[in-house]
Amino acid sequence: MIGNDHAEVEETLKRIQSHKGVIGTMVVNAEGIPIRTTLDNSTTVQYAGLLHQLTMKAKSTVRDIDPQNDLTFLRIRSKKHEIMVAPDKEYLLIVIQNPCE
Amino acid sequence: MATSAQPGLLGLEGSAGGEALATNGTASTAGPERPGPLQDETLGVASVPSQWRGVQGILGETKSCQTASIATAEASVQARKHVDAEVQTEVPEPVSLPSVPRYNGPRLAAFLRKVEAMVTRELNKNWQSHAFDGFEVNWAEQQQTVTCLHTLSYPPAQGQGLHVTGVSWNTTGSVVACAYGRLDDGDWSTLKSFVCTWNLDRRGLNPQQPSAVVEVPSAVMCLAFHPTQPSHMAGGLYSGEVLVWDTSRPEDPLLWCTGLTDDTHTDPVYQVVWLPEPRHSHRFQLLSVAADGKVLLWQGVGAGRLQLSAGFALAAQQLPRNTKLKKPSRGETEVGATAVAFSSFDPSLFVLGTEGGFPLKCSLAAAEAAVTRMPSSVPLRAPAQFTFAPHGGPVYSVSCSPFHRNLFLSAGTDGHVHLYSMLQAQPLTSLQLSHKYLFAVRWSPVRPLVFAAASGAGDVQLFDLQKSSQKPTVSVKQTEDESPVYCLEFNCQQTHLLAAGDAKGTVKVWQLSSEFTEQGARETERLDQLASEVAS
Repeated sequence: MIGNDHAEVEETLKRIQSHKGVIGTMVVNAEGIPIRTTLDNSTTVQYAGLLHQLTMKAKSTVRDIDPQNDLTFLRIRSKKHEIMVAPDKEYLLIVIQNPCE
Repeated sequence: MATSAQPGLLGLEGSAGGEALATNGTASTAGPERPGPLQDETLGVASVPSQWRGVQGILGETKSCQTASIATAEASVQARKHVDAEVQTEVPEPVSLPSVPRYNGPRLAAFLRKVEAMVTRELNKNWQSHAFDGFEVNWAEQQQTVTCLHTLSYPPAQGQGLHVTGVSWNTTGSVVACAYGRLDDGDWSTLKSFVCTWNLDRRGLNPQQPSAVVEVPSAVMCLAFHPTQPSHMAGGLYSGEVLVWDTSRPEDPLLWCTGLTDDTHTDPVYQVVWLPEPRHSHRFQLLSVAADGKVLLWQGVGAGRLQLSAGFALAAQQLPRNTKLKKPSRGETEVGATAVAFSSFDPSLFVLGTEGGFPLKCSLAAAEAAVTRMPSSVPLRAPAQFTFAPHGGPVYSVSCSPFHRNLFLSAGTDGHVHLYSMLQAQPLTSLQLSHKYLFAVRWSPVRPLVFAAASGAGDVQLFDLQKSSQKPTVSVKQTEDESPVYCLEFNCQQTHLLAAGDAKGTVKVWQLSSEFTEQGARETERLDQLASEVAS
């Protein structure tokens, strides 16, 4: 049922967002347009556009090295936090976490 | 000899006349009696007609012209068919997130189900991982020490023994300006002083020759560049006036001035600050703070005049009594203000440093009327909302942290720097930096835990609260003979530069080492921790 799915989507995102250190969560579709987010508009649009391009590049890099291989997960670690991208044919799940050190 | 051109005159008389003329003075036999040798005589008119010029008659011809008649024709035209059409531009639709497509539900839910486990696993691993402990990447070349890049001075000002009382960087970060004046003069001085600017990005920079020099009739006590116009700067004078200059006009740099009216300060102006106007955030107004206890807001109106738009006055009886202060002497006493700093998080909140040594938390929105005898065209209000515990002497500088909404620093003549939180009267920590006065303290614009202080012993001290909370991390000597350093400013655009001005009349531009310009991991949290740990 559509209602159930919708509730499930919201619940899953809430669970992820409530993990320790998570700053923001967002779901982006295949064109790079964000469809769910916990951050403000401008930040979301920026992350979505940039990370979508980077994920496509990473995916093509992996496929070029070995055509039988494919990208399963992308992590970017920076001085301030870590960005995790879980890619799929239709969607991207982006989570930004502030890891404990 | 007069020749009259008479038409028709023939040559006969001419020759006779010529003869008569030739024998003029000597043989005048034609006369009836012979005059004496020295007597006047009149002769006939002698005319010599031209022999070669012929008679000139007048030739005339008549001609006439007439424009041909104009051919005209009449014809009429009538529109038979017409069509009406309207054009209307549409209001551009605001760019917004497309509405969440609900029908994606099942596929979206399936996707999330698939990835959730993996993501959760990674999040947990990350939280417990020590893989990156102590791992630091250096992208830029590291500078190990603090070095002096430029030593700038203006010899005529140095010759007069003037001190550098204020430095400011402009909005693009390439021009540094300094104001000359004297900080130890006690009386009303009328010596001419200068405001000089150097453009550090220009090739062929001559440290002894500023790119622009403005002569000012009185000693300048403070300086501030405009936040968006690269060539406008404001300065406060010893006489209480506030002036604004435009250095792009070398013939007449003075743009606005307050003049000496009832509204202007009656004591030296210690600091000027540019503030955005409340309703038009691209226009700016000036705030000036002086020792007479007044905090005034000026706006530029036509003809180069700065007009008072709002004002505040500090009176000893109106100070909030949350901190026990020394009892003021009888009568209304004004509390002189010596420094001001605005909070970067709340634009109407500001901190004033006073001559009594206690910082005050004030608000632009305060409504209570001030008890003061000073005349003013605009009603003055009492801005103070909270009094903080005092220093051992007057406070010369305050600075609000750009990274934490409640923290600010104050430096005073007791040689101590106090770190205050807006929420409590007692300082969080008190650091003794010098045995002499401290003249300026500034937070770093890039590192939340770093600040710099200018001391009366001639050095610039850089403090990193992360490394040590007791002694300065780096202390650079600016003057050889221990004459004081009066002012310093960080460059917000080129964050490795720090300018400091001293009593010898020189401005030194220091290049900071990389440890002061690159933000480490989690410094903001450490700052939050610092703010809350001592509050208990």
